[in-house]
Amino acid sequence: MTPEQRKLAYELITDPPPGSKLAEAKKWGVDLTLLYENLQRTPTERARCFASMVHSYNGLRDAAKKSTLSQ
Amino acid sequence: MKELPEIFKILYDASLEFVVIGGAAMHLQGSAYVTKDIDFCYSRTPENIKRLATSLAPYHPRLRGAPAELPFTFDSRAIAQGLNFTLATDLGDLDFLGEVTGLGSYKEVKAAADTQIIDGIPVLVLSLSGLIKTKKAAGRARDLYVLPELEGLELLKRKTGVE
Repeated sequence: MTPEQRKLAYELITDPPPGSKLAEAKKWGVDLTLLYENLQRTPTERARCFASMVHSYNGLRDAAKKSTLSQ
Repeated sequence: MKELPEIFKILYDASLEFVVIGGAAMHLQGSAYVTKDIDFCYSRTPENIKRLATSLAPYHPRLRGAPAELPFTFDSRAIAQGLNFTLATDLGDLDFLGEVTGLGSYKEVKAAADTQIIDGIPVLVLSLSGLIKTKKAAGRARDLYVLPELEGLELLKRKTGVE
């Protein structure tokens, strides 16, 4: 992402054009800063990040399961 | 679970014709969505079916959620007789779909995909417009739930020109 693209993306996520799909997403509860962060990564970085997110997700799910079973 | 680039390399080295779809494609396109499995659409040609069976064999594919005693071998015959497979493998949970709701078979899915270079390997990833189409066609609550994010992301990428 170039500095210009970064600046424009930041403007769009902080002040989405009224009535746009970005404004709708924000209203829906989407955290646009997460999209901004992810778009700054290269496809390879996004791919590497995916596995760590899955590990975190599985860890949370297993912990929740254990917690439910122990109750 | 193996990291995505390693999984892609295994499939690429086997010359498998595949497109990354579902939650992994969403993430690769920039979404913050998290999923625990990786979905692929694969070509159903006899050659590709053979490649799929051969490439996954070392990683002990079995039907996810099926009883352990259920006899199943993920070979060319089983793939040819089936269509969509949800697998647990030593690489992680991998789903291979012969058809994708809203798009069709591999040919149509490939036409709706972008090529991303991941660790030096060209990987076909379903585009945001393709993802939006499949989510709308599937129409389940969990599909419709992610639509605003995908549509917002599509606009963000279009306005900024970011890949």
